[in-house]
Amino acid sequence: MDGRSHWSKGGVIAVLFGRLSQVSSPAIDVRALHVQFGAVEAVRWLDLSVPAGGSTALVGRNGAGKSTTMRVLAGVIPPVGGEVYVGGHDVRRDALGAKRVSGYCPDVGGLVPRATPWEHLQLSARLRRLPPGWEEDARDLLERFDLGAAAHRVTSGFSHGMGRRMSVVLAAFHHPRVLLLDEPFDGVDPFGAEATLDVIADARSRGAAVLVSTHLLELAVQASDEAVVLRSGMVVGAAQANELGGEAGARAYRALLA
Amino acid sequence: MTTILAEARRASADVHPLVAFRLAALRGRSTPAVIAGAGLFFFMTAAFAVLPALLDGAQSSDRALSMLLLLPTAYLAFLVTTTFAIIGAGGGRELLPRDEGVAFPVSPTTDHLGALMLVPLNIAWILQGWSLLGLTAFAAGAQNLWAVQITTLAWLFFGTALAQAIAWAVEGVRRLPHGSWVVKGGGALLALGTVSLVLADNVTAALDQSPTLDAVVVALNGRHVNGRWATGTAVIIVGGVMAVAVGAFVAHLVARRPPLEELQADGRAIAPRAIARSELAALVRTDRSSVWRSVPLRRGFLILALIPGLVAAAGQLEWEMLPVLPGLVASGSALLFGVNAWALDGVGAVWRDSLPVRPDLVFAARVWVLCEVLLVASALTLVVGGLRAGGLPTTSEATALLATLVVVSLQVVARSMHWSVRRPFAMDLRSARGTPAPPLAMVTYSSYLALTSTLTGMVFAVAAQADDPRLSLVLAVPFLLAAVRRLAITRREWSTPDTRAYVVATVSTR
Repeated sequence: MDGRSHWSKGGVIAVLFGRLSQVSSPAIDVRALHVQFGAVEAVRWLDLSVPAGGSTALVGRNGAGKSTTMRVLAGVIPPVGGEVYVGGHDVRRDALGAKRVSGYCPDVGGLVPRATPWEHLQLSARLRRLPPGWEEDARDLLERFDLGAAAHRVTSGFSHGMGRRMSVVLAAFHHPRVLLLDEPFDGVDPFGAEATLDVIADARSRGAAVLVSTHLLELAVQASDEAVVLRSGMVVGAAQANELGGEAGARAYRALLA
Repeated sequence: MTTILAEARRASADVHPLVAFRLAALRGRSTPAVIAGAGLFFFMTAAFAVLPALLDGAQSSDRALSMLLLLPTAYLAFLVTTTFAIIGAGGGRELLPRDEGVAFPVSPTTDHLGALMLVPLNIAWILQGWSLLGLTAFAAGAQNLWAVQITTLAWLFFGTALAQAIAWAVEGVRRLPHGSWVVKGGGALLALGTVSLVLADNVTAALDQSPTLDAVVVALNGRHVNGRWATGTAVIIVGGVMAVAVGAFVAHLVARRPPLEELQADGRAIAPRAIARSELAALVRTDRSSVWRSVPLRRGFLILALIPGLVAAAGQLEWEMLPVLPGLVASGSALLFGVNAWALDGVGAVWRDSLPVRPDLVFAARVWVLCEVLLVASALTLVVGGLRAGGLPTTSEATALLATLVVVSLQVVARSMHWSVRRPFAMDLRSARGTPAPPLAMVTYSSYLALTSTLTGMVFAVAAQADDPRLSLVLAVPFLLAAVRRLAITRREWSTPDTRAYVVATVSTR
């Protein structure tokens, strides 16, 4: 049967328009984001966009506002000002929608101490209403991150690196349209870092937008097309990621942080 | 010997900066509240120590004689309950939590002295202390009351120091290979011994042999301020000092051994189960695991569920008095984690909040699990307490018990969830020595819960004596409506993104 016979003229236009809008509107779209904790301005009028299939690194020193920005995008912290869209969902008005299309690896911890990795995956799968079959992908990802043997142990006994790797698995196993990884390489061994880079590449090849926050410049360069440098909650520079590679890139980066 | 004394002096001096460090964390309205609380504590202590001696019938009436006969048992009960409370807390509370303390050279002696200092910051200890002072004042009368009460205070010091030393010893055994089973076996033997005493009707005879009788005699000698009083009181104080020293020695032995039971719980494998059928079931399952897989929470739950019931059974508390128990047990259970319920997720709170689920469903799951814990603990207490309550309860008594169980559980849950949302704390609930809130907040919480739930229990204890069982049901309605209203308000607050972000950010830093 010819598949096109199902398409009405209006339907085709709608699909084409939808595809066009996917191409034209970024998967992550942040305009003039402002976040304040009491008197402290954590993020100041930040603009950022990541297209579907693209990957951007948020880099900067500790306290630059990277994790706060990530938390806003994950729907965990409400923005004080500005507009934030994740996968087309306004996080202020439709945080649940934004959470449904994204996967988030928090900067610290990120695991319930007395639950096992498998139970974390089951909880996420249930709340995301994943269809049967997700288990295979999850097991595969656990193996790739060398966590297969620990899948049924409570996470309170995990090392820092194991916890980080598990958080990446949790963010990625359901193939989200937007992948938010906050310090995924922190304290992770080279094999874990490699597995994380593979996950980022897989997500991009599926058309997902990836935002990686890290203070490790070399890994940021490997993980992304573009790098946005934050200082004191503000964007102080943006460049193609490869421009920040090598000694010259590191010098330019340090100059932006100073 | 000189080195030991120098180390002891240094360890004692280290307590001061640790206390200052904790007090420095007080913010905003907390400082005046602490000062007011301390003032109230000293005022109440003075009132309990003096006022009963000025009442009609003090020292001379039949009631005063009854109280006098009760005193040795009350002295013993203080020692026993304080010991169990510290054993349940894995050796006592910490002046500086374990994960914060790793960066500082805090010696086990300092840790021991800190734990000893924190023992009185517990409503059960405070109430028992006040009761001892009050009973002693009424039984002894006003003559040279100061001397009598010096002995009572000395006993409070001795009992606390001895309880702390015993608790360290039990913790030391628990940390040996298979030590956990030895402690459980010891506990079971103790329970069996108590039950056999009760069944053989030998409780009174056993209590007559209590060594606390000598302490009471010393206190009463205070009325004449004689040599026997001075010597006896000095012996009690010296005994207390020796218990502090022995406790410090045992604390050093304990510090050399890791908490095996907790570490084994961290490393054990859990058999996977099928995925939960609904979102709520998935959330409840996760919360339930967080409670029941925690060694300190399980231990605390067992102590709370069984000890009050056993005491009630030993004292042959009748059915009409049993409604007082569920409130105390529910309050104690809520103090294990419920008053800071979101801390149960620990560092996983941020990830959990990033999951696509309605906040009110998350709230409902937490309420469900807290209710479950409170109801099971209170029901278990009633079953044990009812064993010697004299046959089966009447319909009025049974209705009153059921109404109390539901009302106080919901009351405590509503108040706990309110605190959990309004005043979250970053606390480590993995350690047996950890508490869900800082020590001073725990005093406030425990005082409030003990007071309200006891008053509610007393209302239903009166209703249990009524002929019409419907009275308890009618009385339950306003209590339930108030609790449900509070829960609804708290749920709305939790559903606000700003509030939730604040709670999650606070509790996830541990």
